[in-house]
Amino acid sequence: MDQANLDGKRAAHSRQPELPKPLFSIRRYGLSVLGVSLALGLALLLEQFHFRDVEVPLLLFAVAMASWYGGLGAAVVAWALSCVGFDYFFVEPIHSFAIAPRELPYFFVFALFAALVTWFSTVRRRVERELRQARDDLEKRGVELAASNKELEAFAYSVSHDLRAPLRHMAGFSELLQKNSAKVLDDKSKRYVGVILESARKMGALIDDLLAFSRIGRAETDKAAVSLAQIAEEALAEVRRDIGDRKIVWKVDKLPAAYGDRAMLRLALVNLISNAVKFTRTRTPAEIQVGQAPATDDQIVVFVRDNGVGFDMKYVGKLFGVFQRLHSTESFEGTGIGLATVQRIAHRHGGRAWGEGVVDQGATFYLSISKSRQS
Amino acid sequence: MSAIGRILLVEDDPNDVELTLTALEEYHLANEVVITRDGAEALDYLYRRGAHADRSNGSPAVLLLDLKLPKVDGLEVLQEIKNDEKLRLIPVVVLTSSREERDMVASYRLGVNAYVVKPVDFHEFVNAIRELGIFWAIINEPPPGSIKRPGAD
Repeated sequence: MDQANLDGKRAAHSRQPELPKPLFSIRRYGLSVLGVSLALGLALLLEQFHFRDVEVPLLLFAVAMASWYGGLGAAVVAWALSCVGFDYFFVEPIHSFAIAPRELPYFFVFALFAALVTWFSTVRRRVERELRQARDDLEKRGVELAASNKELEAFAYSVSHDLRAPLRHMAGFSELLQKNSAKVLDDKSKRYVGVILESARKMGALIDDLLAFSRIGRAETDKAAVSLAQIAEEALAEVRRDIGDRKIVWKVDKLPAAYGDRAMLRLALVNLISNAVKFTRTRTPAEIQVGQAPATDDQIVVFVRDNGVGFDMKYVGKLFGVFQRLHSTESFEGTGIGLATVQRIAHRHGGRAWGEGVVDQGATFYLSISKSRQS
Repeated sequence: MSAIGRILLVEDDPNDVELTLTALEEYHLANEVVITRDGAEALDYLYRRGAHADRSNGSPAVLLLDLKLPKVDGLEVLQEIKNDEKLRLIPVVVLTSSREERDMVASYRLGVNAYVVKPVDFHEFVNAIRELGIFWAIINEPPPGSIKRPGAD
């Protein structure tokens, strides 16, 4: 969008008359004078037709209008003018600025009432302006957010397309080198080629994980009533396929029904359970429990507990970051994006993910999701 | 061996062309591969115009189509083929790096016959290409009018 267009939009957004300042002031105060004069004129005219006591509501109305449209300055002017006018035309003795003692209460009640109206009107006006400002800011931020989301999507798209191709070539030609030139390569060179291959493979996995992670942020959630018990069962079945002959004692509690995106919740549970499987590798038997923590008023909480290597609570803040790992890749493989994905899925369900652990005594990871169908 | 169908490979990246040919060579399918380097050239080949005006008659048994191509991109090529009364019979397999859902959906919507994501791992890549080659060039019966070379037994 070009600059002129942007400026035009901004001006339209501010919704304030674009007058030079002195002219604007004259108009504001003019409005007070005009409003009060009109009210006085109308009251005097009606008095000719024997309508009594119409001056109070008319003057109050004029004061309210002046403070609404003119702001505090105009409000004070209107208030003062209406007090003076009221005193001169309607308070005994008539057509004099003096006030008879018995009329004093009447005048003061009017003055007080007019002041009250002015004050309310001014406050109301300020609140409304702030609200409008906040709405405009929000609108603007919404537009910016949409633009940055779009940019992110384009970025992820081009990562998906363009980063994979050179990786494939690295892996492919290293493989061909290994195969076709095995005779001329010495052991050291063969090892080098192996490292290139392994790195390409690892980078491929990182890119895939990162894309999957960003997709969870971008994709629309497809929410429906789902059975967490069934989702947990599927997740368990998926994880169990890869555990080989390891001895794991499973304990799966009864899980409730929930409202959420089936595929996302499944991915979250798969990540949590496969983490538990991974970090109990040194235990025989490994014990893994999938259960439900006491629900709060508006949240369902499920957890996955293991008796694995655990973690130091000192690093708990790092657990859910992207590519954050607490263990070396030699001891436990992985890209370090699993828990970040779980956290993001929790956020998209109006909940959060957190963990508790003790070094060498296992860990528990919690996932809360909102019961509400709104979030 | 039975007859081998002609494969039209539309791929702009020379490295990918080489890897694909290497994979097909292992199964002696590489001889029947025609390579075009962008969407415009692929359409020239199919319509027998431009540089391909003099080629012999007949359609390829399968078209392996990359999506990200210079000039005319893969989806545009696909659209043009599937909108053409004669060309729409040619089986088209999208062979791409993109795992993005929108590419996949767009391709199927345009009537693609298969969608294959090129695996990063070389073994998987070779396997995928080999299986594609064997299926589309040998097992599958292409529509009438396709070029097939009688295979040597």
